[in-house]
Order: sequence, then structure tokens, then C-alpha cells
Amino acid sequence: MKQQLTMVKKHVMTGISFMIPLVVGAGLCMAISIIIGGPNVSTAEGTFAYTVNRIGSLGMTLVVPVITAAIAYSIADRPGVAPGLIIGLICTEIKAGFIGGIVGAFLVGYFVNWLKKIFRNVPESIKGLVPILLIPLIATFVCGLLMFYVVGQPIVAFMDALTNFLMSMQSGSKFVFGFLVSGLAGTDFGGPINKSVSLFANGLMVDGILEPEACKLLGCMIPPMGIIVAYILARKKFTKAEKEAVKACLPMGICMITECVIPLAMNDLWRVVLSSVVGCGIAGGLSMLMGVGASVPHGGWFVIPTFQNPVGYVICMVVGSLIMGVLLAVLKRPLKEDEDSLDGLGTSSGKAAVNLDDIKIEEIG
Amino acid sequence: MNIVGITACPTGIAHTYITKKKLIQAAESRGHHCRVETQGTIGVEDELTPQEIADADVVILAVDVKIHGEERFKGKPVIRITTETVMQNAVGLIQKVESLIKK
Repeated sequence: MKQQLTMVKKHVMTGISFMIPLVVGAGLCMAISIIIGGPNVSTAEGTFAYTVNRIGSLGMTLVVPVITAAIAYSIADRPGVAPGLIIGLICTEIKAGFIGGIVGAFLVGYFVNWLKKIFRNVPESIKGLVPILLIPLIATFVCGLLMFYVVGQPIVAFMDALTNFLMSMQSGSKFVFGFLVSGLAGTDFGGPINKSVSLFANGLMVDGILEPEACKLLGCMIPPMGIIVAYILARKKFTKAEKEAVKACLPMGICMITECVIPLAMNDLWRVVLSSVVGCGIAGGLSMLMGVGASVPHGGWFVIPTFQNPVGYVICMVVGSLIMGVLLAVLKRPLKEDEDSLDGLGTSSGKAAVNLDDIKIEEIG
Repeated sequence: MNIVGITACPTGIAHTYITKKKLIQAAESRGHHCRVETQGTIGVEDELTPQEIADADVVILAVDVKIHGEERFKGKPVIRITTETVMQNAVGLIQKVESLIKK
């Protein structure tokens, strides 16, 4: 069961890893076009800004097909790609969006794997027909019909309900929602919880709801800055190895590589995580109240000007970083004398040691 | 031991490379020779040669996503883990691999 879950996660992560550069490229083109052409750029035909906007908006229509194809590729290897692209495009067409694309991808992937198993023992003479004719045709035909008639509809209904819910939230629940999204995103610095939140926020972003994405970005951009604030306030509480790690936080933090916080969090797990969750959470709540939105899933400080209400975003980021920094500076213990060395390799005595017992040798067939 | 490995993470810009560094450091601290290929968002870097793979005693795949070229390791003992495992306990992992390979 655990094995199965790990595999599902791997497939979805493969999809995300293919999707990120696509959304960055297309999303930024759209954002730039709005900066140079104003908010009505998408109807200003013939202008340069309009052309840039078209590049971006055409790119965005590929997001769901690409994530569907990439997940299907992860499950079923190359034969998954073609039906995956088509099923993903269907999801865009019927407005089943991102969630539909992921569900469709698993449908395609496992169906193609099943077809491969069935066709394994066909005679040598028609072996070539399996990947070039049978699998693409049957997988596309069957999964496409299923998507249109069966699987797609409940997902479309669910997406509508979710959109309406998010649109109709009042300020109190907006703050709680923002606190949850940003707080969770700031829990494990690029780890599985952060990635799950990303998946949720990216999905909504692709479907045109931009506020949760801004909350997620806050949860990724605040922790490195919070660490720096804490370091400025309480330099003496950091070990030599930690100081080295803090140095990396500025450039990496600006680029939104929140992983730079991990070495510090490993050393002092709950204090760093607690202060990060509180700082990010409050910033996220504020961001929801101020209506900050982001149409790009990655890119760090450089993409902030493209946001909806960038000034609000910066305010939230500063507030969150200060809260996290002050909290961490207060919480952190003074150093003991023998504590000032650390090899940084992570040894079995580490507090968060992972379970190594399940590791075994496998053969690749 | 001769260890070869591949690292790959979802975003493909940070964990992939930190994991590579930690894996090599940990392996060398235990006296092994270690070569690691990365498959980040930029694509394959430091690609393992067929000779290196042939000479390897064990293959460590520290990957969170699907990777290219897994079929190169056919017939080799392969250890498949996530980048998380290496991040948290690289030395422990190498010790565990030692005990598995000796058996």
C-alpha cells in the first residue's frame, strides 16, 4: 500500500516537473503583455502586446495536456504520451481543468499498461502493430469516451463548486484559508507537504483563481528571509555550520529556492518550522484579504511585478519575514560550548532520521 | 565499492544537486568511489558512461520522478530511494547499502 502511494506520488511529481517550465514561460508572457499593453490586451488585436499575450495564452492551453501526458508517461512510458495529450486536451475543453487532467492521466496510464499486458503474447508478425496502431487507437478511443461521458462530469461539477466556494468567501474565512495555504506551504521547505499545497494552488491558478497561488508563493519565499531576519537579530545563537547555511539563504531565497532552509531546520526542527508556519500563515491570511494574486508558479522576486497587487504582496512578504524572524530569534536556544561543529552529512543520530529498513535491492527487467 | 547513482527531484533545481553532493560526500567518507548523474529540469548532466555502469557494484537511484535511461542498469543491483532519504541520512544509507551488498 505504502509502495503504491509512493508510486502515485512519483507519477504526479513527474507531471509537475514537466509542467513548471511551461507555466513559467507561458504565464510570464501573459503577465508581461499585461504590463506593456494594459489590462485589455487580450482584445487589442494587431498590437505587439497582443501578440505576446497570444504566445502566453496559447501556452497556457497546453498546461493540462502536458501534465496529463507527463503523468501517463511516468506510469506507462512512451505509449502513454499520445493518449495522455489528447485526454488532457479533452479536460481543457470540457473545463474539468487540472484535477480532471490528473485523474485522466491515471486512467490513461493504467489502461495503457493493461493493454501492454494483454498484447504481450501476440505473434511476432503483428508485434509492430501494438505500439503504433493498437495502443494509441484503443487507449485514446476508450479513455476519451470515458472522459467525456463518465469521469469528466463529476469533476466539472466539483470544479464549479470549488470555484464558487472560493469566490464567495467572506473576510474571516478568507484569512483562515490564506493562513492554511501559506502555513502549510511553509511547513517543510519544498518537501512533500509544500508540494501538495503547490499542486492545489497551481491547479486553481491554471483554472484562473489566482489568490491561493500568491499564498503558496509567500509560503515558499518567506522562510529564507525569516531565517535571515532571525540571524540579524540573534547572531550568537547560530552555529558555524548554520551561519554557512544562512549565507546561502539570500541568493537562494530571492530565487524562491526555499530548500536552503532545510539544513537549518534539520538542526533545530520544531523551532524553525513553528516560526515559519506562524510567519507564513499570517502573511497568507493578509494576502487573501488584500486580494493579492499570482499567475506564475515559480520565479522568486523577479516575477513579483507581474502579480495582481504586487505592492500588497511585498507588504505581506515583509510582515511574514519579520514575524518569522523575531519568533525564531526568541525561540532559538543560546549555543552550548561543544555544539559548534557539524559535519552536515546527516547521521543516524539525527532527530528526523528516516526509516532505512524498507530499503532493498531490486532488479530492473 | 564502486557506486553509481542518479538524482532527480520534481522541481529539478535544488534537491537534485544537494542530494548529489551529499551522496558523494557520504560515500567517500565511508571509503567508496562514487559517481552521480543528475537529471534536473535542465536535462541530463554528468552522464554515466557504460564503462562506469559496468564497473559499478551497486546503483543508487535517489529519484522522486521518472528518469531517463533506467534500462542501462539491467542486471545490476539497484537501490531505489527518494531524495529525502539522502537529505536526511546519507551516511546511514551508505551503511545500509554496504550491508545489503555484502549479503
